[in-house]
Amino acid sequence: MKTAQITPEERERAFASAKKPEVIDKQKLKVRYHVEDYNVADRPRQFLEAFSAILKHSNYRMALDHFIRMSAKCSRCATTCQVYQATGDPKDIPCFRSELLLSVYRRHFTLGGMLKGRLLGNGYLTDEKIEEMAESFWNCTACRRCTMECPSGIDHGLVTHLGRYILSELGIAPRALVVSTREQLEGATGNTSAIPVPALIDTLEFLEEDIKEELSVEVKFPMDVENAEYVFFPAVSDFLMEAETLMGIVAVFTVTGDSWTTGTGYFDGINYGLFYSDRMLERVVKKVDAETRRLKGKKILIGECGHASRSAKYYIPVYCGGDKALPVINIMEYTHRVWKEGRLKLDPNAIMEPVAYHDPCNIARQKWIIEKPRELLKAFCPNYVEMTPNRDQNVCCGGGGGTVSIDEVRAYRTGVGGKLKADQIRASGCKYLVAPCANCKKQLRELVEDQGIDVEVVGLHDLIYKAIIWDEKFKVSSSPAEEIPQKQEDK
Amino acid sequence: MDALLDFARGPLFRFSFAILVLGLLRILILDIWGIIEALRKTDDKKIPWKLVSIRTLEWFVPVRKVFSNRPIYSSLSILFHVGLLLVPIFLYAHISLWKGTVGFGWPALPKLWADILTLLAIGTALALFTGRIISKTSSFLSRKQDYLWPLILVIPFLTGFICANAGVSPVLYRICMLTHILSAEIIFVLIPFTKIAHCIIMPLSQLVATIAWKFPPETDEAVCTTLNKKGAPV
Repeated sequence: MKTAQITPEERERAFASAKKPEVIDKQKLKVRYHVEDYNVADRPRQFLEAFSAILKHSNYRMALDHFIRMSAKCSRCATTCQVYQATGDPKDIPCFRSELLLSVYRRHFTLGGMLKGRLLGNGYLTDEKIEEMAESFWNCTACRRCTMECPSGIDHGLVTHLGRYILSELGIAPRALVVSTREQLEGATGNTSAIPVPALIDTLEFLEEDIKEELSVEVKFPMDVENAEYVFFPAVSDFLMEAETLMGIVAVFTVTGDSWTTGTGYFDGINYGLFYSDRMLERVVKKVDAETRRLKGKKILIGECGHASRSAKYYIPVYCGGDKALPVINIMEYTHRVWKEGRLKLDPNAIMEPVAYHDPCNIARQKWIIEKPRELLKAFCPNYVEMTPNRDQNVCCGGGGGTVSIDEVRAYRTGVGGKLKADQIRASGCKYLVAPCANCKKQLRELVEDQGIDVEVVGLHDLIYKAIIWDEKFKVSSSPAEEIPQKQEDK
Repeated sequence: MDALLDFARGPLFRFSFAILVLGLLRILILDIWGIIEALRKTDDKKIPWKLVSIRTLEWFVPVRKVFSNRPIYSSLSILFHVGLLLVPIFLYAHISLWKGTVGFGWPALPKLWADILTLLAIGTALALFTGRIISKTSSFLSRKQDYLWPLILVIPFLTGFICANAGVSPVLYRICMLTHILSAEIIFVLIPFTKIAHCIIMPLSQLVATIAWKFPPETDEAVCTTLNKKGAPV
C-alpha cells in the first residue's frame, strides 16, 4: 500500500513553522519543534565529544561498524517509508537519514575515515550538518518499518535513536519532551502530566462512582497495596484523557479478583527517554522498578501504551537486574489470559459496527503482542476488519518516536507522517479504530479530525468495558438511583 | 606477456587471495568480537533466536521479499548474486586450478550452465548499473563505489567468457586472460575494504541489530561523568 505524494499546498501547510525568526537566529536551528535555549558555541566539537562519550559507554560502536560495512544503498527502504512516500523528498529516505550520522562516524571514529579526512582535508563535521540532522531525525516517526525492508539489516531506527541522543546532549531536543521528562524526574509531581497524587485519587474515585452509576457494579482502583501481583503503570495521560480505557481495565480486574495496585509514589509508564536520550530512559525505567519494589509487587503491569510497554519490557532487564529483573507484562496479555481461562465473559455481539485494530509499532514490530488483541476483539466484534499491511508490518500512526507530543508539528504529523495511515483507515471502512497506545490514540484522533475521516478512535479496554458480561454477584444490592433519594431523605 | 601471466597467476594471485581471506577474517572476527563484547556489557543477555533466525533466513531465501518491494530491482539483484557466486566457485577451469595447487576439487557446473550464469551475471550487473542511474532514489543515495562495483565485477566475467568461448587469436586470448586475472585480483583486494564485505558479515546483521538495542547498565552516570554533567538538571 502506498500513499500519494502531497501537493505543494499541502507541503506548505505541513511544513509551516510557527517559530519566531529571532528564536531561529538565536538558537541557530531552523527546526519546526521548539527547543530550549542551549549553548550554540562550537556545536561540532560538542557533538563529537558527546558522540565519543556515548560510544565509550554503550554498544552502538558494534552496530555502527557493522552498518558502515554493510550499507549497499539499494533504496528499498524508500518504498516502505510513509514519510518519504508522502513528501517525495529524497532526504526523507531512511538510508539517507542514517548516512547523516554514519558519515560522521566513518569520518571521525574510524581509522580509515580519519586518515582519509586528514589527507584530503575535508569531511569535518559542520554546523550545517548538525542542523540537517536536527531536522531529519525528528521528521522520522521511528516506526522501524524500513528496517524490515533493508537487505543489509541496517536498523535505521537505531541510528535515528542514537542521533537524537547525541543531539540531546547538546541541548537539541523537542522542548515538549524535555519539559515533561524534567517534571517526571525532578518535578514535584513526578510524572509527565504533572498530576498531583490528590488529583489522581480524586480522578480514580470519580471513575469508581461513574462505573457504579452506569453498571451498578462496585469497582476499586487499589492504591499502595503491598505484595500485589501487579503494579500498574499506564501512560499517565490516561488519567486525564483515557477514562474509558481505565474503566475497562478496572472492570477486568473486578471480574477476575486478581490483586493489583497503583502506587502513589510513582504511577507514570511514559518514558520519553526512549525517544531522545538513553540517559533519561534509564532514569525513568529505574523509577518504575523502584516503585514496584517499594510495594513488593511481583510483576510490572503496563497499560495501553506502546512505548511505555517497550521501554519497560526491554529496558527493565537492561537497567534493573538482567535475569533477576521483575517480569513485565502488558495489560492486553493479562486480559487475553484471563479471557482464555474463562474468567472473563464477553458478549459476542457487543459491538456490531466494523472494528479495526491498529498495531502500535513499539508492540508489534518485534512480534511481541499481535494476535492476542485480535482474538479478544473477534470474541465480541462480529464485524472485525483488518487494515493491510498489519501485524509486524503495520503502518505507523504517524506520530511515533515521540513526535505526537510535539503539538507544534501537528500539521506535519497528520499531513505527512500519518497520511498513509489515513488512507489505510479509510480503506478499512471501520467505525471503531482500536489503538492500544496513548500516543497512537492521540495521533489517530488528530489524524481523523484533520483528514476528515468519520471514525472513533478507542482503546482496546474501552470496548472490552462495553462487552463484559457481569455476573450477578458483582451487582450492588441497591441501584444508585434509589440510593440518592434515600440519602436526601436522611438529610 | 607469458611472464606477466605467470606472475599474475602465481604470486599476485596468492597475495590478493591472502588479502581477501585475511581481510574478511578480520572483519568477521571484529564483528563477532563486537557482539561478544556487547553481550558481556549488557545485563540482558536473552536473545530472541527464533525471530533473529527467521529474519536472517528471510534475506537468504528472499522468496517473500522479492515481490513485496521494488520487484524488478530485487529479482535482478538475486539473479546477479546467483551468477556472481556460482560461476567463480563452480567453474570447471577454476576447480582444475585449485586441484592442481591444493590437491582437491569439487563438482563443477556443466559448461552450458556456466555460460548461461556468466551471461546472467553480466546482464544483471549492467541492468543494476543502469537501474542505479535511472532510479531517483538510488541515484540520490549512491556513492562512487555503488556505481563502480557492477562495472568492475563485469570485467572478469566478460573476459572469462571470451577466453572460454570465442575462438580468438592467442594474443587476444592472453590479453583477455591477463585482464581476467588482474581484475579478479583487484576485486579480491577491494572486497574487505568496501561494501562487498557484506559477503561475510551479512548473516550477522539481524543479530547485531537486535543486540545493539541492549544497552549496558549504569550508562547514565558514566556518560555524565565523561561529559562533566554530573548533577546537571534534566
